Amino acid sequence: MNERGGYWRSLGELAGTPAFRLKLEREFAEGAVDAPGAFTRRRFLQLMGASVALAGFSGCRWPKEKIVPYAHRPEGWVPGEALRFATSGELRGCARGLLATSVDGRPIKIDGNENDPIGRGASSAIDQASVLDLYDPDRTRTPIWREGRSERSVVWGDFLAWTEDLVRDLRATRGARLAFLSEPTGSECVARLRRRLAAELPEALWFEYDPLSMDHAREGLRIAFGKPLRAHLDLASAAIVFSLDADLLDDDPAALLHARELAAARRIEEGRTNRLYVVESVPCTTGAKADHRLSLPPRAIAPFALAVLHELVFAHELEAPDRLREILRAREASDPPARAFAKALAEDLAANRGRSAIAAGYRQPPAAHAAAHLMNDLLGNIGRTVAYTADPDPERPNHFDAIRSLAKELEAGRVETLVVLGGNPAYDAPADLGFADLLARVPHAVHLSSHRNETSLLAEWQIPRAHFLESWDLSRAHDGTLLARQPLIEPLYGGRTDAELLAVFLDGRAAASGHDLAREAFGAFVSGEADFEKSWRRLLHDGVLGGSARPKVDVSFQAGPTADSLEQISHIKDHAGENGLEAVFLRDASVHDGRFANNAWLQETPDPMTKLTWDNAALVGPSTARALGVETEDVVRLSINGRAIEIAAYVLPGVAAGTIALPLGYGRTRAGRVGNGDGFDVYPLRASGAPYFAFGAAIERTGRRYPLAATEEHHLIDPRATRERERRVGSLVREVEADEYLRNPAKAMHAEEVHHPPLVSLFPPHSYDGHRWGMAIDLDACTGCNACVVACQAENNIPVVGKKQVRNQREMHWIRIDRSFRGDPDSPEIVHQPVACVHCENAPCEQVCPVAATVHTSEGLNAMVYNRCIGTRYCSNNCPYKVRRFNFFNYRKNLEPVEKMAMNPEVTVRSRGVMEKCTFCVQRIEAARIVAKNENRPLRDGEIVPACAASCPARAIVFGDLNDPESRVAKLHGEARAYGMLAELNVRPRTAYLARVRNRNERLAKREKEGHEPIHG
Amino acid sequence: MPSARRGVRAASGEGADPMDKEPASVRPVFPKSINFFRPVIGIALAAVPLYIVMLVYYGNSAEATRVGYEPDQPVAFSHALHAGRLGIDCRYCHTTVESASHAAIPPTETCMNCHANIRAASAKILPVRESHATGMPIEWVRVHDLPDFVYFDHSAHVRRGVGCISCHGRVDKMETVRQEKPLTMGWCLDCHRAPEAHLRPPELATKMDWVPNEDPFVLGKRLRDENHVNPSTDCTTCHR
Repeated sequence: MNERGGYWRSLGELAGTPAFRLKLEREFAEGAVDAPGAFTRRRFLQLMGASVALAGFSGCRWPKEKIVPYAHRPEGWVPGEALRFATSGELRGCARGLLATSVDGRPIKIDGNENDPIGRGASSAIDQASVLDLYDPDRTRTPIWREGRSERSVVWGDFLAWTEDLVRDLRATRGARLAFLSEPTGSECVARLRRRLAAELPEALWFEYDPLSMDHAREGLRIAFGKPLRAHLDLASAAIVFSLDADLLDDDPAALLHARELAAARRIEEGRTNRLYVVESVPCTTGAKADHRLSLPPRAIAPFALAVLHELVFAHELEAPDRLREILRAREASDPPARAFAKALAEDLAANRGRSAIAAGYRQPPAAHAAAHLMNDLLGNIGRTVAYTADPDPERPNHFDAIRSLAKELEAGRVETLVVLGGNPAYDAPADLGFADLLARVPHAVHLSSHRNETSLLAEWQIPRAHFLESWDLSRAHDGTLLARQPLIEPLYGGRTDAELLAVFLDGRAAASGHDLAREAFGAFVSGEADFEKSWRRLLHDGVLGGSARPKVDVSFQAGPTADSLEQISHIKDHAGENGLEAVFLRDASVHDGRFANNAWLQETPDPMTKLTWDNAALVGPSTARALGVETEDVVRLSINGRAIEIAAYVLPGVAAGTIALPLGYGRTRAGRVGNGDGFDVYPLRASGAPYFAFGAAIERTGRRYPLAATEEHHLIDPRATRERERRVGSLVREVEADEYLRNPAKAMHAEEVHHPPLVSLFPPHSYDGHRWGMAIDLDACTGCNACVVACQAENNIPVVGKKQVRNQREMHWIRIDRSFRGDPDSPEIVHQPVACVHCENAPCEQVCPVAATVHTSEGLNAMVYNRCIGTRYCSNNCPYKVRRFNFFNYRKNLEPVEKMAMNPEVTVRSRGVMEKCTFCVQRIEAARIVAKNENRPLRDGEIVPACAASCPARAIVFGDLNDPESRVAKLHGEARAYGMLAELNVRPRTAYLARVRNRNERLAKREKEGHEPIHG
Repeated sequence: MPSARRGVRAASGEGADPMDKEPASVRPVFPKSINFFRPVIGIALAAVPLYIVMLVYYGNSAEATRVGYEPDQPVAFSHALHAGRLGIDCRYCHTTVESASHAAIPPTETCMNCHANIRAASAKILPVRESHATGMPIEWVRVHDLPDFVYFDHSAHVRRGVGCISCHGRVDKMETVRQEKPLTMGWCLDCHRAPEAHLRPPELATKMDWVPNEDPFVLGKRLRDENHVNPSTDCTTCHR
C-alpha cells in the first residue's frame, strides 16, 4: 500500500487495523448516523408534532424591529461597517502588534498588524482565539473580597478604601513586607512604575515567574557571552538551519517570523533552497518541516550538540581553544544513526560557514544553548544569520529561582501583602514548593485575574483583570519595538491592567488611569512637547513606533565559562539509561501553560501533532508503548520521584524511545465551564530544580480506559478503496526531492502521477467570463500551526461542538489540517496538509443535492444555500475530500448574550440540520467587489484575502482569480510543483497544492532509504 | 399495517376472515371508537390541496410581505414635508447611502442642525430635543426589514444608478413612511435579471420626481453599458 507517497495518518492506518478499516469504509462516520442517545421514538414524534404545529405560527409574525441611531454619532463611525484599530496582545512578555476589527463597537476579529516586526501581518492560533476570551461569560465581573470562608462581590471603591491605610503604612515602612509576583511583561508602563517602586518603596520585593520560562536560553547566553541577551535568527539568509529541540516555527516568540522566512528561503522555483535539521525528543511543527529529523531522548540532546561540535572541530578543523578541543575530543555520538546524522550535519555546516543558524530549545539546559552559540561562533554565523540584543531586564533572576525565593519569603512569613499580577501560581508553580499552601497563609493577598481561578480562591482580594482589547498600554515586541495597546471596548466588567493596579500601591486613590500611564510612558520616546500629540496619534494609528527596536549588540565569546558548562554535559551519557523513562514537560499548543483552558476555540483545535482535542495525554513512542504494554486511551499511573498522577496514554509516532511527553496546562479545576476537568494536570510532577525534564519516571497500568477525542482518523479520504481506484488515483500528499526537481521539474513530479483514463464528464462544462476564484496551498511552506483553523472559525461563526461530538466525528472546522507520517513509526517523516473545500468545477456534491442547496456560481464558487438545505447529507457523502460539515444540533442554543457578541455579522449563523463548508470567504469577496465597483475599477490581485490566508505566518495559502494570468494564484497553479488532490476523479478542484520539497543531504538520504525499506514492505 | 386493517375490518362486521378464529387475546385489535377518525382523516386529506392553495395565496399577499406596513413612529417626522415640499436631498440625512451598506438613520444631531433655530419650541419635536439634550437615542420603528440572512448593500445600488424610489417608492409624498414594495426574493431577482427599467444616471439616484425624457428601456440599456451594471443572480451575491 505504500508504493506512492507512502504516508499514513495514524498508526491504525499503518497497521491496517479492523477499527481503521471500518472507519474508512463506513458510508457515514460512526455516530454521524446514529440518533442522539436516549432519544426514543415517542419523544421524537412528540417533538416533531410540536415543531410542525409551531412552524405554522412562527411564520405569520414579523418581528417589530427598532432602529436606534446615536444622538451624537462619533466621528468616522458608520453603522454596520467594520473599523480596524491597531493594538497589541502579549504572551511570555513579548507583545505582538495586532489589528482588531470592530463592528458597531464590538471587536469580532483579530489579525496581525503589517507593521509588527515579528508577525508582519500574520497571527497565531492563540492571537486569533483571543477575541473569544474577551467574551468569556466566566470572567470575573466584580472585585471579590474574601473574609474567612465567605466571599463578597464588592466595587472598586471598596478596594481603594482598603488600600488607603496600606498605602500610608507602606510609605512609612518604605514598602517593607510587600511583595509582587508578576508574569513576564514587555509593558513600558509597568517598567516605569517599577522604577518608581524601587525609588519610593525600596523594601518591596518583585518576583517574576513564567511556568514556561525561556530562561534556560537566557542563562545559556550568559554563559556564552557573559551577559544575558536575546538571540535573533535570520532564517531568510541561512542555508542550513539546525534546531536542537527548538520548535522555532511554533513555540517561540519569533515563531511567525521564522515560519515566514524559512518558507521564503525555500522557494525552489526562485532557485532558493535551505535545509532544516531537527534533533528532538517529541515531534513538533519544526520537526515536521525538517528535511532530516532525528529522535533522541532528552538526555541525549545536549551530548548530541557536543558530537556535532566534535565533528566540526576534528573532522572539519574549525579553530577552537585548546580546552574546548580537550573536552570535545572523545565526544563522538555512540549511537550509529546519531553518529551518521552528526557527521552529515557537520559536513553541511562546515560547507556553509556564515550561512547557517543553530538554535537550542528553551527546554534544554543552559549548557546546550551555550553549545549552540559556540557553533554559531565557530561557523562565523554571528552578525550574519544570528544577532543579539540586550536583555530588557538583565538583573532579574531566572524565573524558577525567583519563584523559589518567593516561596522562601512566604514560608518565613516575611510577606504581609502579596500582589499577584495575573498568572496562576497556585496551579502552575513547581510542585515541590507547595505554593498553594503558602499562598493561603499570606495575610493579605491580592490577585489580579480575569477568572476566579485556583489562585484567586486563595487570595483575600481578587480584582478583575482587563483583557488586552480593553486596555491602554505600551509594550515591547520580541525585538524591542514599541507597540501601542489601545482599547476597542470599555472594560466589560471594570477590569484593570497590571499597571493600573500597580499604580494604586504607589499613589492610592490618586492613581492615574491606564490611558494617562501610557501617555506618560510614551513621553520618554518623543523629544519635544510640540511633537507629542502628533507622535501619539501616529503611534495609535500605526500601532508601532518605527525604529524603536533594540539595537544589535556586539558580543565576544567567553571560552572559559562555555568550556566549564560543556564539561558538565560531557559527563551525561547519550544513550538511555536503564533506570526508567525520561519525562518531558511540554507547552500545549492549545492551552499554552493552562491560561487558555477556558477558550473553547483553542480547546477544540486539534493539536498540530497529536490531533487531540479537549485533552492532553502522556505521549509515548510506538516502540516504548509496546515495551510498556500501553495503548492509546489506557489510563496509566505515572510516578516521578515519589509524586504520582494518573493520566491517559497516547501513542504518537516520533516520540523518542524511553521518553514520555507530558503537555502542561490541563486538569484545571477552576478554569471555567469550558476548561474545568479537561485532561490531566501534570504540574504535580514538576519540580523547580528540573522544570522540563525528569528522569526515572515509572509507568504502571491501571487497567482503566479514558476516551480521548483525536481527529487523526476523521474525514478519511480513501484513495485506494478498490484495486481499480488504486491504479487511478495519485497520492494525496506529493513530495519531490529538491535536487531531482531542480534538474527536471516535470520529471520529478511525474513520478507522483498516475495513468488514468481520459477525464470525460457527462455534465457540460461551465464557462467563466469574469472571475474564476481559486486557491493554492504550498505544502512546503505550511507548518501545520493551526492559525488558519482558528481564523476560519472566528471569521465564519463556526460553532464549537464539544468533546463528545468530536468523538462522534462531528467537529465543524471548515479547514482541517491532515497530519501524516511516513517511514519508521519511531522516527517518521511528517507532513501537514490543510484541506478545505476545493470548490470543484465538476462538483460531486452539486450533482446529488435533491433541493439544489449547493450550487455553482458564475465565478465557480461552490455555494451553499443554507435556507434550501434539508439535511439529506448526500453531498457530504459524495464529497471525495470530506470537507462538508453538518449541524447535528443547534450549537447556539445555550450561548449567553455576551458570547453572541463575538459573532461576525457578515456571515449567516447556521442552525440545526444544515450542511456547511468553506465558502472561500465569500463575504470578503463580495465586500471587496462592492468597494472596487464603487470606485469604478477592476478588482486588484491580492485585494481579496480569505481569513485563512490572512493569518498564515508562512504565506502558504494564496487566493485569487485564475482567469487573470498575472495573478499570483494563477502563476502558482502553473508551476510544475502544482497538483490537484484527487484530480483524477475529474472533479477539477480549484485548489492546487504545491508539492512538498525535501532537500535531503545525499549522505543521509541513502541511509534513510535503507532504513525505511523493511517498513514499507 | 396488517394488524390495523384487520382490526378495522373486524369492527365493521366482516367476520368471515378465517384469521378471526384466533383467540381475541393474542390479536392486536383497535377499539371500535377508532372508526370515528376515518372520516376525520378523510376530510383532513381532502383539505390538503386547499391548505396548499391558501398557503401560496397568503404567502404572496400584501399581509405576508408587509406591503403597506406603516407603523407609528416616536416622532411625527414627515418625509412629505422635508424631502417633498422643502426638497431636502435624501443624502442630507442618510449620509452613508453612497458609501456603506446601510443608509444610516441620522443621529439626533442632524435634526438639530436646523431645529436648533427652526420651530425650536414646537411640541412636535420635543422627543428630538430631549434626545439631543440627554444623549439617549430616539427609537425609530424599522419599516423596510430584510431577513438577517440577506446582505443588501445600499452603496452598490445607488452608485450604479438604481433610484431610491425603485425600492422605497415616493417617500417624498409620505407623511409616515410606508413599505411600498414586497421586498421578496422574486421581486429582487426581477430587477437583477433585467435592471434596465430601474436605471437612471447615478447622480440622479435620489431625485424622487425624475422621469426620463426618452424611452426608459433605451436609456436603461445605454446606462447599463456605460456604468457596467451586471447584476449577479448568484446566491452568494446576497446570501453569505
